[in-house]
Amino acid sequence: MLEALSQSLDPALFWEYRQTLAEGLLRNLAVFLLGAALASAIALAVGLARMSRFRALRAVAVGHTEVFRNVPEYVLLVWLHYVVPILLSKATGAHISFDPFLSAVLALGLAYSGFLAETVRAGIQSVPTGHVEAGRALGMRGSVIARRIVAPQAARRMLPEALNQYVSLFKATSFISLIAVEDVMYRVSMVASYEMRPLPLYTGAALIYCVVIITATTTIRLLTDRWRRRGWV
Amino acid sequence: MLGNVERLVWGNRELILEGLSVTAQVCVAAFLLALVLGLTACLIRLYVPLLRPLAIGYIEFCRATPIFVQLLWVNYAWPEVFGFPHTVMQAGIIALALQSSGYLAETFRSGIEGLPAGQREAALAVGMTEAHAMRRIILPQALLTMAPSIVNQLVVVIKSSTLVSVIAIPDLMYQAMRIVHQWFEPIEVLTSVALIYIALIFAISAVARRFAGHLRRRYGLGGET
Repeated sequence: MLEALSQSLDPALFWEYRQTLAEGLLRNLAVFLLGAALASAIALAVGLARMSRFRALRAVAVGHTEVFRNVPEYVLLVWLHYVVPILLSKATGAHISFDPFLSAVLALGLAYSGFLAETVRAGIQSVPTGHVEAGRALGMRGSVIARRIVAPQAARRMLPEALNQYVSLFKATSFISLIAVEDVMYRVSMVASYEMRPLPLYTGAALIYCVVIITATTTIRLLTDRWRRRGWV
Repeated sequence: MLGNVERLVWGNRELILEGLSVTAQVCVAAFLLALVLGLTACLIRLYVPLLRPLAIGYIEFCRATPIFVQLLWVNYAWPEVFGFPHTVMQAGIIALALQSSGYLAETFRSGIEGLPAGQREAALAVGMTEAHAMRRIILPQALLTMAPSIVNQLVVVIKSSTLVSVIAIPDLMYQAMRIVHQWFEPIEVLTSVALIYIALIFAISAVARRFAGHLRRRYGLGGET
């Protein structure tokens, strides 16, 4: 067991395959950034729709949030990649198929838009109505109130929870290899079967993710802490 | 379309139900194990100064590693190092439990730390031992306040459990993919399975939330959910 334990860490193996692994990690980052942008855009629209005056719009927003918060990401990924192109092909009569990369971005973007929409709603609702009324009493227009009073406070309150969601989104990029996006886990599996040494490779992959996520979250927390507290303490 | 649903989904209802029962077994076992591991890690972190760094390392590792990576790691690397798990089923349960135990440990910690110190002091003042106070006074209250987060974690376990099909555990997703590969007609099966998962998770979180709210009201903790 001790021998196996010492074998489970093998930096030389990772150094040997550094280029292919780094390329994979970049693919993960690309999916993450595009997925996060998509999720945030949808979440903002849905979060605002949830507070709309129109009942129909509110109902659509609630439906969106409930569906995408409750569907497992992997099921959504597979469904989007295999089912949606067929439906589109049938509807348009043309042959349509999705690039795995596109499916991954769409699926993760949609999946996390549900959670983020809740975060947006909670953030906006956390701004006391008195602040909005005060703005109105001073003669501010609605758009100015939204931009100068609601948005800065809501964004600060949303940040910690949104950060958690982005971390989950990044973690979810690990299984896009299952629809053959050539990401870091795809390459790790390839090297593992080629070298016949799953032990150091899967251990290393777990550690890579661990280091990337802990470093990123700590850095972002440190960088945003001052901004978040400005005007609050 | 409807004919296809009948042939592909209703025709395979036994496979689908079998998959559903495997999913249920994996989730229940993983969640129970996660509760035990999470509580242990949390108690060590709070009350055993010597092992504290170890517990923190464990919690951080579990939280910062994706479930899919942990699944492959436990399935392929653990047998060489530790000599177990022996079956894919065990590997799936352990991986899911690891992931959730990290989050649950943090949930428990905030629950315990959020309790007024007077509760523990009062328990000690009436002659309870530390362990007795923990079991009878602190944990029951902490568990009640933390009920919503614990329910959320159960939902996360169910959602993550779809990935265990990758290491060939015959769960719902595995059976669905098998039917898809057999007929090359993904629309009806995958859509039905997605709807089954959504309904299942929606129902479980609704029931669990109601139950937690009921308990909290009953013991005077104001169930706002």
